[in-house]
Amino acid sequence: MTTSPNTRRFAAHLVMIGLSALAIFPVYWMVQTSFRPESEVFSTALWPATPTLENYRRVIEVMPIFGILWNTVLMAAATTAAQVVTGLLAAWALVRWRFPGGRLAHSLIALSWLVPFQVVMIPNYVLATRLGLLDTIAGLVVPNAAAAFAVLVLYNAMRGFPREVVEAARMDGAGSLRTLIEVVIPNLRAPIASVSILCFISAWNEYFWPLLLIRKIENSVVQIGLQFFMSQEGNDWGLLMAAATLASLPILLIYLVLQRQVVESFMKSGIR
Amino acid sequence: MASINIRSVSKTYGKTLAVNGIDLHVEDGAFVVILGPSGCGKSTLLRMIAGLEDITSGEIAVDEKVVNDLQPAKRGCAMVFQNYALYPHMTVAQNIGYALKVSGIARRDRDERVARIASTLGLTHLLDRKPSQLSGGQRQRVAMGRAMVRSPGIFLFDEPLSNLDAQLRIQMRLEIKRLHRELRTTSVFVTHDQVEAMTLADKLVVMNGGRIEQAGSPSEVFRKPQSRFVANFLGSPPMNFLPATIDGSGRAVIGGNLVPWPQLVFDLPRGTRIELAFRPGSAVVAPLDGASAALPFALELTEDLGTEHHLHGKVAGTAVAITLPAGKNIPATPFAIAIASEDMHAFQVEGGQRVAPSRATPETIMKHGAAA
Repeated sequence: MTTSPNTRRFAAHLVMIGLSALAIFPVYWMVQTSFRPESEVFSTALWPATPTLENYRRVIEVMPIFGILWNTVLMAAATTAAQVVTGLLAAWALVRWRFPGGRLAHSLIALSWLVPFQVVMIPNYVLATRLGLLDTIAGLVVPNAAAAFAVLVLYNAMRGFPREVVEAARMDGAGSLRTLIEVVIPNLRAPIASVSILCFISAWNEYFWPLLLIRKIENSVVQIGLQFFMSQEGNDWGLLMAAATLASLPILLIYLVLQRQVVESFMKSGIR
Repeated sequence: MASINIRSVSKTYGKTLAVNGIDLHVEDGAFVVILGPSGCGKSTLLRMIAGLEDITSGEIAVDEKVVNDLQPAKRGCAMVFQNYALYPHMTVAQNIGYALKVSGIARRDRDERVARIASTLGLTHLLDRKPSQLSGGQRQRVAMGRAMVRSPGIFLFDEPLSNLDAQLRIQMRLEIKRLHRELRTTSVFVTHDQVEAMTLADKLVVMNGGRIEQAGSPSEVFRKPQSRFVANFLGSPPMNFLPATIDGSGRAVIGGNLVPWPQLVFDLPRGTRIELAFRPGSAVVAPLDGASAALPFALELTEDLGTEHHLHGKVAGTAVAITLPAGKNIPATPFAIAIASEDMHAFQVEGGQRVAPSRATPETIMKHGAAA
């Protein structure tokens, strides 16, 4: 027996709709729980009987959530900017010049990607403490200012950039830095956007390093802020969900505005 | 304008020798074409003149000033690349004016010079477009404009026409020739297209395996190739080569018993193997009557190209192609071909060097045949 193409397409769509629902459901549950009064938190109804903004009011009351959000934006933006700049310079050096040890440098950068955070966490912590970066935003940014991922993605993008165009710039008298800034970078908008988006999201979701480094709640970032509502006596689900919703808003916004670029960058980088 | 002096220049990549001891003088205002198959080192040589490639050994001088260690932009050269290499994010005007911007020329001055170049090249209406909105020919013109804007002493062309379709190629070829006549800028043009080479060059340089095989005027190189390689590389269809052996009296014997040119006597030892060669257009149809001057031709295939016929066949077991003008009838019966002795070339099998007969009467074989 054969199935018609229509039936098959319908079945495929059904599966995809099911999978999408599975993916969206936790987000939906987070948002709707944030509108529930405490008495309703464990109800299985799909929508709160008496929706309320009480949880949001209390989050703002007990925690400097907007300050924390601002810290996080600052930290993620600075990390992204630093990673893109260092990535561009490193990739340019590797692509533009053939020098002894160039390939070794490239391999070492690739290899550094494989080093787990837990290995470098203690030395980084000691260093950050000695440098007086404990409990600061700078302390969150500096150890992540260069990333193998950014270097490698930009390296590949630059390798695909026509060599003749770079040579034409040389013939026109442009120096290396000028060539990078005026000729190469304007033509690498797509890969730079990809790297930026991925860097920003991963910095936003950073949990472990801020947990080690940050002491005061007003210096904290959102992922740490969320933990505030989880205690050994039990979790304050309504508050947690309201704070989590606030924490995911900026990222959701990025997804909405830059949906195409985000999807493309995930596909191209082949990760996650 | 400037002259270029290249003195025993070599280039190695690791262990590979790409350019092997080149000596070449390019006179002020000359148009030199470097011709050769891919991988012969012609582009590498050009890139060394430009400064895009380091020189392993030897010396390149522009106007007697050694430029080996000079940055590309300081050598007074401008280059037109094969893929045009336009800046994709800049408009035509910005592309042409970029070199001026880099050298710090004021905007107004820059715009003026860009406008002047654009009008010379017929690009005025395209100045605000991006390269992606241009046709191949227009891109080529922009690349030319970018090279011209700095009024360089030397133009370097790296196969600039190879990405264009046939018709456009002819048009751009004429345009480059016209520009050269107007500007008289010293030019070095690299190509593997022999028609481009023949039509553009004042001086034609044929390269092979990193060496110069022959340098001279196009007609000299075409009519008197100094090696088998040059003879074979120039001309379409290519030259025909007939293996021959020198006999006791210095004459070349083809196929064991044919001595079509008894008046050509070579100063070579008996038994030396050479190749006699002639251009397809040099052959004429002759009756198959056993006259010693004519070579029996076993016709296998005829191609009608409209302007001429190409006849493929065999002479003494060797594949040979000849061309006949369109008006000529192709004989229906077996026939022979005759070639004037002055149209014959001879090359040594070993090394492929040209060998000249030590004695040759000015008579053609036709006359010889008639006298006999």
